[in-house]
Order: sequence, then structure tokens, then C-alpha cells
Amino acid sequence: MLRFVVDCIANLGAVLLHKLVQMGQALLMLLQATTVQPKASSLTRLIQQLYVVGVQSLIIILVSALFIGMVLGLQGFTLLSAYGSEQAVGQMVALTLVRELAPVVAALLFAGRAGSALTAEIGLMKATEQLASLEMFGIDPLHRIVAPRFWAGIISLPLLVAIFSLVGIYGGHLVAVEWLGVYSGSYWGNMQQAVDFNEDVLNGMLKALVFAFLISWIALYQGYSCLPTSQGISAATTRTVVYSSLAILGFDFILTALMFGGAV
Amino acid sequence: MHTDGIINLQNVSFYRGGRAIFEDLNCAIAAGKITAIMGPSGTGKTTLLRLISGQLQPHKGQVFLFDQDMAKIKQKQLNQLRKRMGVLFQSGALFTDLSVFENVAFPLREHMNLSADDLYNRVLTQLEAVGLRGVKDFMPSQLSGGMARRVALARAVAMGPEVILYDEPFAGQDPIAMAVLQRLIKSLNDQLQLTSVLVSHDVAEAFAIADHVILLGEGRVLAQDHPDALKTSTDPAVKQFIHGEADGVIPFHYPAPALQDELRGPS
Repeated sequence: MLRFVVDCIANLGAVLLHKLVQMGQALLMLLQATTVQPKASSLTRLIQQLYVVGVQSLIIILVSALFIGMVLGLQGFTLLSAYGSEQAVGQMVALTLVRELAPVVAALLFAGRAGSALTAEIGLMKATEQLASLEMFGIDPLHRIVAPRFWAGIISLPLLVAIFSLVGIYGGHLVAVEWLGVYSGSYWGNMQQAVDFNEDVLNGMLKALVFAFLISWIALYQGYSCLPTSQGISAATTRTVVYSSLAILGFDFILTALMFGGAV
Repeated sequence: MHTDGIINLQNVSFYRGGRAIFEDLNCAIAAGKITAIMGPSGTGKTTLLRLISGQLQPHKGQVFLFDQDMAKIKQKQLNQLRKRMGVLFQSGALFTDLSVFENVAFPLREHMNLSADDLYNRVLTQLEAVGLRGVKDFMPSQLSGGMARRVALARAVAMGPEVILYDEPFAGQDPIAMAVLQRLIKSLNDQLQLTSVLVSHDVAEAFAIADHVILLGEGRVLAQDHPDALKTSTDPAVKQFIHGEADGVIPFHYPAPALQDELRGPS
């Protein structure tokens, strides 16, 4: 029995140590990739990655934002009309989106679309010896491959979140104003009164920035450190989506508590 | 001391998954020669190339390249050393987002300040040498495995390296391409006074062009000599490898219990 307990503690210790080593490696990878003086050609690579990571994620963001905004408009109208306050649907849609849904849902979609693609791409580059090949040309793959993808993630997600909020608010307008007949002036006017730029919009964007950092870091580390086999790449891609999703939801609670907790 | 060749491995031990790939391995690769590293599958030939290129570090011992201890040099110096070295990877390792032309142009764009015309002519000359000028606008996904490796060879020699490491250059090549590659490796070596290290399974092809053969097995050098001397060697391991015999001192089977013990009887 004692032996069993000792073994359990030893195994737990080994797992924790392994995780600590991985976190250290991930931190080192990030530091090495980001602490380099950019060259003129870095901008070209960054723009390429902004297209792949950001622009190519637009469709899923636009469609999801429209439907989520429409659902919010419908649910908000149904709920608020019971109290005769359906004119407040605009502020409800806007605050829900800007503070919570836009950063969280856009980040979850971004992790599923762009994060998994980044992991798979870098994992495949590793499996097909393209990263080793770069090294052999005297080029650090962390600077060449990891850095532009990391910065592209950091820039793209906040922009996608802003677009998500705008399209979601328009979706809410479509349902609440165009379909259910809420007065357009109330929809926009209440929203303008209720939404504070610093407290709501900037805090939402700050969340987006934190999520962008987490997703890009997780996705790139998983790709860079995966086993260079089909099974290894598949497992790393899954880990990217799972770890990113958990990190987004966990950090969302912490950030919400810090940003809006005092107001409750 | 590391005085024998341009590449020296001294008392190198390397382990993977608790298994010793090399144990106290010593060998030297002479400058200006073609050295073939041969041996049965799993003897660590590719690992040896990775140790030489600094992609892996030995657990014990030292690897010297151009008289520099690969374990002690800084990343910047290693990058400088690598500019003097070309590597042909087993898979070709072409950049999948670049065309054939851009793949060959890649090291030239990165490290040499050539005019657009000079770069274009140089890339085309390299592609012509491997017989693939006609596919310069293809993407790597449009090439066969053999063609991809020939493009990778053109890319590896584009910078005019002093040392070239070839990992299985003949694998998957048709007889014509194989003969052309053999001639190309030989002529590159002779004309440019390169040092070539060739990892290969193909005894006939490697023996035909190599000046020196290092036969690896059981984590050490089993034999090394001129190919002609190895052909007449009476060493049982050398004879077995060269003539491809399943039975001999080099085991064909990975260690396992007797087949009868593992087979299942009628239920």
C-alpha cells in the first residue's frame, strides 16, 4: 500500500516536472522568436501571414457574428418585451457582444480555424524536414517561421473581434428593428448611451489581445514541438484546440472579474 | 586531437530511447574525397549526418567540423559554418510554398547579393545540371519523389559549399536518374574539390563513386577502407553486407522471442 502511494506521488511529480519543462521550452521558444530585430523582408512575411491567419478567418467570423447577433436580438426582444423594455435590446446586444461574446466566440473560432492550421503547418514542416533545411541554410526557423505567424495572430484576432462585434450588432438590428419592429432610434440611441468606450470597448479589445497571445503561443509551440509523424501532428492539432479553448474560457473569467467584477 | 580530416568524430556516443545508436564511435572524413557511410537499416547513418551538421549533439564525445567543436560553438558561428555546408535531405525537404525555381534561389537570395539576372542564370544552370530546368515553375507537390530530391540537390549545391552531406541520394531514382546523379556527385566533387559525405544503402552505386567507405554496425565502425579493398575483404560482416546475405554476423531480424513461442495455437 505504501509502495503504491509512493509510486503515485512519484508519477505525479514526474508529470509535473515534464509539464514544467514543456512550459520552460515554450517560453524559450517565444522569447527566441520574438526578440529579434525585424528586417525589411520580415514585413512581407508578416503580411503573408496576416492574409492566411486573419483574412482567411473572415468568413467564419462574419457568418458566426451575424447569426449570434440575430439570436441575441431575438432572445433580447423576447425577454425584454415581457417587461415592456424591448427598446433596450440594442444596448443588451451591444454590451453582450463587446464585453463577452465577441472576444470569446471569435477567439474560440480563431483557435479552431487558424490555431489548428498553424500547428498542422509547422508540424508538417517539421515532419518533411523543412525546418531542419532552414537551419542548414543558417536561418533560424524561430525567426523565419514562428515569429511572423505569432505577430500575425496577435494583430489579426483583435481586428476580427472588432469585426465580430460590428456584424453581431448589425445582426441584432436586422432581427430586432427590421423584423420585430423595435424603433431604430431606440436601438442605436440606447446603445450609444450604455456602451462606454473605455470600460466596454477597450476592455473587450484587451481580452482579444490576451486571447490572441494565448492561442498563437499554444498553436506555435504545439506545432514546433510535436512528434514529426502523422499521429504526432494530429495529436498536437487536437491539443492546440483543447488547450486554447480552456485557456480562453479560464482567462475570460479572470479578466471579466478584474475588469467588471468591482461593478457588481 | 582532431587532426585527421575536415570532419572528425571522437569517442561519440549517442542514445535514443535508452538504446545506444553509437558507442565510442571514432571516424574521420578526409577533405576533397567522397566518403560513403554505409550499413544496415537502423545503424544510425542519418543520425551520424545530423551529428556532423550540428542538428543533434552527442551525449558523449566530440564532433569537429572545420576544426570547430560543434558542441562548443555559438548559434551564430554554427550558422556561419552551415553556410559552408550543403545538405541533401532524405525527403528532399523542399519548401512547399515555393516553386522549384524559388527553392533553388532561396539560399542565394538569403546569403548572396546577386543581381536578378545573375540569380536567374545561376538557378537555371543548377536546374539544368540535374535535368529539371523544364520544371522550374512547378510547385514541389507536382514533382515525383525522385525529382524532388534532384531539385533539392540543385539547391544544396547552389551556394558552392565546401562540404556536402547526401542522405540517401539514390533512393527512389530510376536507372537513368541514378546514373546522372552518380556522375553529378562525382564531377561536383572532382571539379570543385568538395568534401562529400554520402549515406546510402545502394552498394553498387556508392562503391562506384566513393573514395572511402565507412561501414557502420552495432553502434561502431565495423570496417573502413577504399571500396576495392572492401570488395575483397574477408571480414564476415563486410562480406555479408556487400553481398546482401540474410544470414551472417549482422542480424537480419530485430531481436525477438522464437517465432514458435509467439504463434498462437488452434483455439
